[in-house]
Amino acid sequence: MTRSRLILRCVVLFYIAALIGVPLIFVFQQAFLHGFGAFFSALRDPAMDHSILLTALVAVVAVPLNVLFGVGASLWIVRHPSRFTRVLDTVIDVPLAISPIIVGLVLELVYAQGGWFGAALAKLGWQVMFSFPGIVMASIFVSLPLVSRQVIPLLREIGDHQEQTASTLGAGPVRIFFSITLRSITWAAAYGVSLTLARVIGEYGAVLIVSGNIALVTQTLTLNIGANFDNFNNYQGFVGAVLLALSSIVLLLILGVARHRERRRNEYLA
Amino acid sequence: MSILLNEVTKYFGRDLVLDNVTDEVPQGSLTALLGPSGSGKSTLLRIVAGLEPLNQGHIELDGHDVTNVPARDRHIGFCFQDYAPFRQMTVFDNVAYGLKVQRLDKARIRKEVDDLLSLVRLESFADRYPRQLSGGQRQRMALARALAIKPEVLLLDEPFAALDAQVRGELRSWVRSLQRELGITTILVTHDQAEAMEIADRLVILNEGRIEQVGTPDSMYDKPANDFVQGFLGPITTLNGVACRPHDIELCEPGQGVTAIVTDIIRLGFEVRVVVRSTNNISSWVQLTHDEAQRLNLMVGESVSLRVRRGSGRNDEAVLLGGAFAVPYDQGAL
Repeated sequence: MTRSRLILRCVVLFYIAALIGVPLIFVFQQAFLHGFGAFFSALRDPAMDHSILLTALVAVVAVPLNVLFGVGASLWIVRHPSRFTRVLDTVIDVPLAISPIIVGLVLELVYAQGGWFGAALAKLGWQVMFSFPGIVMASIFVSLPLVSRQVIPLLREIGDHQEQTASTLGAGPVRIFFSITLRSITWAAAYGVSLTLARVIGEYGAVLIVSGNIALVTQTLTLNIGANFDNFNNYQGFVGAVLLALSSIVLLLILGVARHRERRRNEYLA
Repeated sequence: MSILLNEVTKYFGRDLVLDNVTDEVPQGSLTALLGPSGSGKSTLLRIVAGLEPLNQGHIELDGHDVTNVPARDRHIGFCFQDYAPFRQMTVFDNVAYGLKVQRLDKARIRKEVDDLLSLVRLESFADRYPRQLSGGQRQRMALARALAIKPEVLLLDEPFAALDAQVRGELRSWVRSLQRELGITTILVTHDQAEAMEIADRLVILNEGRIEQVGTPDSMYDKPANDFVQGFLGPITTLNGVACRPHDIELCEPGQGVTAIVTDIIRLGFEVRVVVRSTNNISSWVQLTHDEAQRLNLMVGESVSLRVRRGSGRNDEAVLLGGAFAVPYDQGAL
C-alpha cells in the first residue's frame, strides 16, 4: 500500500470513529451500565413507551403519504414537464434547505389558534397544533423530497419507451403504471422510503415546536430522550437513544439491500 | 393495411417539424422513411403509432380515420430504436405482454409466445432477462413482442442503428424476408441510405419536415428529384461545377474532357478512389473499380482527362451541354 493511500485510510477511519463510532459505543455503554435487567425495566417507562407508540403512529401515517406524494410528484415532473413542474421540482427541495425549527415555527404561526387557518380549523373542532395532526404535518414537511429525489433521476434515466411500447400493445395507464413503471422504480422508492422513515423517526426541531412536547400526550421518542436529559434522568435518556440507534441500524441494513439492488439493476442497463 | 398520411403538420413549440406531409403507404409494402437527423422522420413514425398528437392533417388506416384514436387502440406494432425491453420481465413475459392485456387464457398465451419465439429464433431464451441478451437478440425479442398482437402495420424506428455491422447486415435481410412472409405493411425509419436502398420497396425522403421525393430505390438513385436527394442517396462530386456520381465519371483521351492532376489514389477494397485537382484548384474525385485502376496504371501527379459517362444520371445532359465536352482543353474548369 502506498503511503498516501495509508494516510487517506487513516483519516477516513479517524473521521468515522470520532463522529459515529465513539458516540455510538458511548451510548450503548451508558445504556447497559447497570446491566440488562436495569435496561429492560427502563424499557417499561410509561412516558417512553407512549412516545415510541406516538412515533410509530406518526411514521405509519406520514411515510405512506410521502411515498404517494413523492412517486406522484416524480411522475408528474418527469413525464409531463411544464413550467409549473419546473417550479415544483425546485420547491420540493425547500424542506432540505430550511432549518426544521423554522418549519415548526411557520406551521405554528399558520395553524395555531391565532394563525391564519388555526381559528377556522378550531371552529370545526380540529386542533392541528400541539396534537397528532401537527406532528404528522411537520414530519411530512421535513421529509417531503426524500422519495422523489430518489425516483426522479431513475424515471428520467429509464425514459418512457417501455411505457409507450406497452400502450401500443394495448395496455391502459393503470396497467402500465403497475406492470412497468412501478416495477422499475421499486428499489429506488424503497430507498426513498427508508430515508423518509429515518427522517420521520429522528426529527426533533420541527416536532418540538408543533407538538408542545407534552409527556404522555404529544411527546415523540426523540423529544422524550431530550426531556429525560433535561430532567437529569440521563440513564432513561440513554436507553431511548439506544432504541433510536437500533432503529437506525435496521434502516441502514434495509438501505444497504435497496442500494445493492439498485446497483445490480444499473448493471443490467444496456 | 394501407396507411394514408394527409397533410400531416406538427409543431414542437414554435418549431415546425413536419410540414404538410402527405403520402400513401400501400398494403404490404416496406417503406423506408429516410432523412438526416432532425428531418422529422421519427416524429412522423410516432404520429402514425398514435404516440404523438399532430397539429393538423389526418391519418387513415384502410380508409378509417384514426387521427384521434389513442395508441392502445390502434393495433399497430411499434419497435423503438433502443428496443425498450421490459427490463423486469423475462423474454417470455415481454412477448406475452400484449396477449395478457387481451386476457387470453394461459395455455393459448403459452402456445402463441412459443410460436413467436421460434419465429424470431429465441426459443431457448424464454426464461432469460433482456439484460442477458445481445443487441440482436433484444431486437428480435422486441419484434416478437410487437408481432404478438398480430398487427397489420409494423413501425420500426432505426431498427438496426444500435447493432454492429455484421449483425446489422444479417438482421436486415432477416427482417426483410419476415416482412415479405407475413405481408405486413411496414414503415421503417433510417438515416442510412444504403440500408434503406437494400431493404425497402419504397423510399420516402424527408428533409426539414418536408417530403423531398417518394419512389422506388432504383428510380430515385437514377433520377433524383433534386440535389438534396441526389446527395443523400449516394456519393456526389462535381465536374465542371455540376453534381454527378463519382462512378459516373470516366477517364478519357486527352482533349476529350476536363484536365486535372491526380493528387491521391485510395484503395477501398474492390473500389479505388482517385482524387484529382483541376488547373483552377477545385478538388473532385472519381470512383473506379480495382481492375480499371490497374489497367490505367494511374500515378499521383499524373495529368488525366475526365468526362461524365454517357447515359448516366439526371445531370448527364447538363454536363454535356454546360460542360465537360464543350469546354476547351486549356480552360479545363472542373
